[in-house]
Amino acid sequence: MCTVGGGPDIGDVESLASKGYICQDCGNKFKGMGRRPRCPSCQSRNVKASE
Amino acid sequence: MNIPLADDEIAYLCGRTGTMALVKTLGHFFYLETETEEISLFTDEDDLLVASTFEVGDAARRGLACTLYMIREMNSPLIVLPKGHPASRRLRTVVSVGDKTRIKCDIQAGTHPEQDVLCGTKEFEGVEVISMPGGAEVKKFAGEVLKEKLV
Repeated sequence: MCTVGGGPDIGDVESLASKGYICQDCGNKFKGMGRRPRCPSCQSRNVKASE
Repeated sequence: MNIPLADDEIAYLCGRTGTMALVKTLGHFFYLETETEEISLFTDEDDLLVASTFEVGDAARRGLACTLYMIREMNSPLIVLPKGHPASRRLRTVVSVGDKTRIKCDIQAGTHPEQDVLCGTKEFEGVEVISMPGGAEVKKFAGEVLKEKLV
């Protein structure tokens, strides 16, 4: 992904392949992308795709 | 060429018209902040943060190191500007995150969301930076490589 400086502009962000997740430990819902998702709130790897 | 890279090191690919820098992500995740949502970008231990600038010399290397330090060590979020925002043309460093980065010089900075493409100067066209255990493999680059401590 190309981002720019301290305020990156990655353009058409809607086309990024992010997925919704829900943490099975703390219930946090978040969007993420990448191969090894984990909860950004409690750091648990026990997450499930939610959509 | 293979570039061994310790967890606390930064490597610079020094060209005549631009500079690139790479550090390991150490498996950290990073926040992409758009106008409406927050996306967490997850990485593997051996993935790389790669930064590119159209400048050379000490100032360019310091700028790249600061950019990568802020992102990795300070967990600075990546603020996504709306397309066409006037701030885009003021910014002088581009960053890629992942296991592979390809440099292209015929694209407009910040306008391509493909994960493995980064803009750079013409001399870096075709350069590929691929993560590997303990460092990076850099293809199609024959210039000078410098390394130093990032932290």
